[in-house]
Amino acid sequence: MIIAFALAAAVLFGSGAYLLLKRDLVRMVAGIMLISQAAVLTIIASSLNRGQAVIHVGPDDDPSDPLPQALALTALVIGLATVALLLAMVHRVVVVFRTSEQDALAATEAEVEARLERKRQADREEVEGVEGAKEDDAEAIEHEELGRVR
Amino acid sequence: MVRRSGRGAAPDSVVRVVARMLPAPSVMVAAALIVKGYAEVGDGFAAGVIVALAVSLTYVAVGADGAEAVLPVLRHAPKIAVTGLLLALASGFFPLVYGEEPVSHQPAPGEPLTKFGKLELFTQLLMDIGVFLLVVGVLVMLLHQFGRLRGEEKS
Amino acid sequence: MLLSIALLLPWVAGAVLLIANGRNRAVAWLAVSTLVATLVVLAFLAAEVYGNGNVRVVTGHWPEGIGIVLEADPLGVTFALLSVLVVTAAAAYESVGGVRTRTFPGLVVILAAGLNGLFVTADIFSFYVFFELAMTASYALSAYGGKRRQLRAALVFTAVNLLGSFIFVLSVAGAYRVTGTLAMEQIAERMLEVNPNAVLLIATGFFIAFSVKLGLFPFHFWLPTVYAGARPSVAAILSGAVANIGAYGLLRFGAGLFPQQLEQAGLALIILGAVSILYGGVLAVSRGDVAEMLAYSAIGQVGYVLVALGVAGPVGLVAAVLYSVVNSLNKALLFLASGVRGALVAGAFAIGSLSVAGVPPAAGFVGKLELFRTGILADSTALIVLLVAGSALSLVYMFQVYQRCFWRADPAKAKASPLPQRLIAAGLAVLVLAGALWPEPLLALSGQAVESLTSSSPGAS
Repeated sequence: MIIAFALAAAVLFGSGAYLLLKRDLVRMVAGIMLISQAAVLTIIASSLNRGQAVIHVGPDDDPSDPLPQALALTALVIGLATVALLLAMVHRVVVVFRTSEQDALAATEAEVEARLERKRQADREEVEGVEGAKEDDAEAIEHEELGRVR
Repeated sequence: MVRRSGRGAAPDSVVRVVARMLPAPSVMVAAALIVKGYAEVGDGFAAGVIVALAVSLTYVAVGADGAEAVLPVLRHAPKIAVTGLLLALASGFFPLVYGEEPVSHQPAPGEPLTKFGKLELFTQLLMDIGVFLLVVGVLVMLLHQFGRLRGEEKS
Repeated sequence: MLLSIALLLPWVAGAVLLIANGRNRAVAWLAVSTLVATLVVLAFLAAEVYGNGNVRVVTGHWPEGIGIVLEADPLGVTFALLSVLVVTAAAAYESVGGVRTRTFPGLVVILAAGLNGLFVTADIFSFYVFFELAMTASYALSAYGGKRRQLRAALVFTAVNLLGSFIFVLSVAGAYRVTGTLAMEQIAERMLEVNPNAVLLIATGFFIAFSVKLGLFPFHFWLPTVYAGARPSVAAILSGAVANIGAYGLLRFGAGLFPQQLEQAGLALIILGAVSILYGGVLAVSRGDVAEMLAYSAIGQVGYVLVALGVAGPVGLVAAVLYSVVNSLNKALLFLASGVRGALVAGAFAIGSLSVAGVPPAAGFVGKLELFRTGILADSTALIVLLVAGSALSLVYMFQVYQRCFWRADPAKAKASPLPQRLIAAGLAVLVLAGALWPEPLLALSGQAVESLTSSSPGAS
């Protein structure tokens, strides 16, 4: 039984990790969901035993351990909440960036990086004010864009 | 999600009829689950999930706006969730007033119970009702959030 | 009673504030006053814990071992006080500037509730639950600001830290499997009889989970994007309060539950810490942007905590506690100061910089001093050289940025920030100064915290 559980958890974790490496953000979320399921499965596998529910056990009955059930349930609920939050974030990203590919996000970061580089350059050459104004422009454009999307 | 703009077919009439009829009985089932929870299978969480499932079918059938028009109470989902959380916290922490530890039962095991018909009243019931409200509230908030996606992207 | 109130107060207030409109000034200040009230309750609790020993609550009249145990010991109370203090400062800072989203005040208060809970629980699963409560609030907080960079930061932060959380759950499941209990005390006792390989695996899982939170070297990849992308107040909360979870977890689980494994892994921890220090330091020097420099500096700074933990023994652990406390104050101060302009701020930032570099008169000096003592105690020249090199690097990068930010005439951005914001930064700076000018309480606190930690673990000595 343990080996079956272990295999199932491993497959879940593996597929989750595979999906996590995909470019599409929705797939990334799916990957995280699978990994969370692997964790829940491990909780169950680690301490599952059959028996009477503990609310009324007779003297001869084997009670089943209620703790792993409570743990699994709690982990499921927490997983649900966090995945929902993540999905909401991905949705926001889709609205703002108009894509769910990670490349677009990376491009934003590269843009910021380039801006910083320009600023550093300006620093060295002691040109002031000009770049600062440019940066403010960029922020303003971003703001406007957000406002339009909303 | 529902496609109101003619892309794809709208859910057929069976789905819509079932969706309209389901929420009321689901609340009954939920109530039964909460009451039974201390001797048999059931608790506030399961009850909440069942009601939320019934509500989610309504969202699928008539869309977020439609569902909230049919069941206006859904608009208050955040308040429901917070009420539930407060109720659960209150039932967990009120023993502090008596100088006891949190999450103690009241009445304590062995003490006489107040009965209402066959329903036994004690503070864990309050906790389960709180959890029920919290689960329904949070899940409906999620449905509301994700049920509107398509409309928002178009605008 | 105090313990329960410290949990209940922010929890209830946070739930109510979540549905209120946070952009309303009254709501924001209500959140701040709740946090202040929590801080006061925690201070009383701390006085009680330090005076009369641990405060212990077993929920629901259950016998111990069945009911969940909440136990406030010196270590937990110290971290709780510190984290709530940082959160309060950041919330007040943001309230002065005007909160931009509905949910910010509620989330901040909920975060404080989660942090309080996880620092006082003595049960690994309720630790996980409070930990997720705090983390979920901080995931939502990291998107605060709503611009592209913040959004991307939030996504990265959430995805990576969720993975860390699942690894934590896997380890909890493993610990329950081999010991049959979730109470920390019993786990520590029973772990001694378990197959050492299994224990090592579980301990590694916990280590990875906390390292991800803390942003230690091999798990740091998410950190620069997030700290640099988030708004200053959120970055202060993340680095000054949420990262404390990682430091506390390493101390509590490492020294409290797995002392033998900690000893075995000593050298590995020191190496990882050293790499963190050098990597963070070198990259911070190469960065021009304040926020990004601070982010890399954060990676370097937690390296010191890990080195101290690796040396272990009472002295090493005291240094680790002390350094995490000082570091969290430093980071909160620097991130908050980096977001404002005007008089007082330059001074506050300079004090923070001195503290990071470990130069008197700032609290960082005391922390560094303790670290040097561990280095001498471990009798390792390499360690001392590393500490000196790390400090020198931090001096370079901190003042590089200081020069760029505060010494340059800056006509475009000369507009000063509101006075209260500057006062908050200055207040934190005064605290950092006080920690150095009168270090005895800080040292005594850390000493007592470590004592409580090691006395509870049977295999320690």
